[in-house]
Amino acid sequence: MKVIACATVAEELLYMGFPEKNMKVLDFALHAEPSKLRERLQAEIDGVEGDCDILLGYGKCSNALEGIKSGNHRLVIPRVEDCIAIFLGSDDEYLRVQREEPGTYYLTKGWVIAQKNALEEYKKLVEKYGEYRAKRVVSAMFANYKRIVLINTGNYELDDFRRFASDMARFLGLTLEEKAGSRRLLEKMIKGQWDREFVVVEKNSSVSFN
Amino acid sequence: MENHVEKIAKAISGLELEDISQLVSKALDAGVDPHEILSAMSSGMTKVGELFEKGEYFLADLVLAGEVMKEGLKVLEPYLKPESIGAKGTVVICTVKGDIHDIGKNLVGTMLSSAGFKVVDLGVNVHEDRIVEAVRQHGAKGVGLSVLLTSMVESIGDVVKALERANLRDRVKIAIGGACTTEELVNRMGVDALGRDAVEAVKIFEGFMS
Repeated sequence: MKVIACATVAEELLYMGFPEKNMKVLDFALHAEPSKLRERLQAEIDGVEGDCDILLGYGKCSNALEGIKSGNHRLVIPRVEDCIAIFLGSDDEYLRVQREEPGTYYLTKGWVIAQKNALEEYKKLVEKYGEYRAKRVVSAMFANYKRIVLINTGNYELDDFRRFASDMARFLGLTLEEKAGSRRLLEKMIKGQWDREFVVVEKNSSVSFN
Repeated sequence: MENHVEKIAKAISGLELEDISQLVSKALDAGVDPHEILSAMSSGMTKVGELFEKGEYFLADLVLAGEVMKEGLKVLEPYLKPESIGAKGTVVICTVKGDIHDIGKNLVGTMLSSAGFKVVDLGVNVHEDRIVEAVRQHGAKGVGLSVLLTSMVESIGDVVKALERANLRDRVKIAIGGACTTEELVNRMGVDALGRDAVEAVKIFEGFMS
């Protein structure tokens, strides 16, 4: 059994004891370009030798996974919108939190690391364009966010990430809340409990969430 | 005269946020037709889109280009003949209920305005009733709906149904766009078109109006 996962999801799986050597971790930034994410995932799947089960640490992710071909492998994917539903334990909970405040920016450990990368990107932006333009870009990108929700998945101590979350909230002028997450979907996935909460794609078939 | 126009197009595609207002003012002082300036800005944006497609520009550059356009339009708008604003017709645009991602929606709005449409931008997380009201109030013939989150695609259907209930569906054509939108979604939701970028959006709405 192998895992191909987004860096944000991989971070949780490592704490849950899934062996790193069986895991391929992909850049979180791919989520912003669904067609690139699809191409990359397909290449990774095609590159896995033999005919094993491959667990994909993704959800629909802007339909990036739709149509991916399983080839010689069986693919298993949580039947959710994206990683936030994985961290919160279900789509229902994700929808509830999202409807409560659509302008929510979610953080987990993996997303904090991603944000630290974004901070590096921001510094590059300042180098490239100067501070004024870089600030305009960030303001425009975060214009509609109202709050940060730090999800406590229970996999690690949150203290370090609390500090980052509160700094980020202050910098962007957002409120900060903490919400309990859940490990249940990932636990079911690595334990092979692939019921209707998972999309199971048999060999020589393709991914369809419908 | 060509020099002014060329410089403006270049300032847009080169993301010259600090220079654009002055360049537009200078062109106006030199007697350049405001509509010629507008079309230069628009062609600059088309160039930005091409550079993004080629992978030379990134998301941050697109956002910055939108900001440059905004600054330029601020100076230019008072000089455009009132009868020419919206000469191509009125379009209501927004990001749907439950979603707040608006980078693409804003670019579409800017491109439609500079192509001669009157754009009524309702913002983000917009309830279907507000869209119905705006269509009625402004006599809009086109509606542009943006959605990024797969969890919120059902909001598109809510808009279609609300327009049907208000007996307005026959009077408007609806285009959708955003990372998670597909042709399958166009059929399932009963809308009229799918746009991949802001340049395509202009073509779609021009088609809607004829």
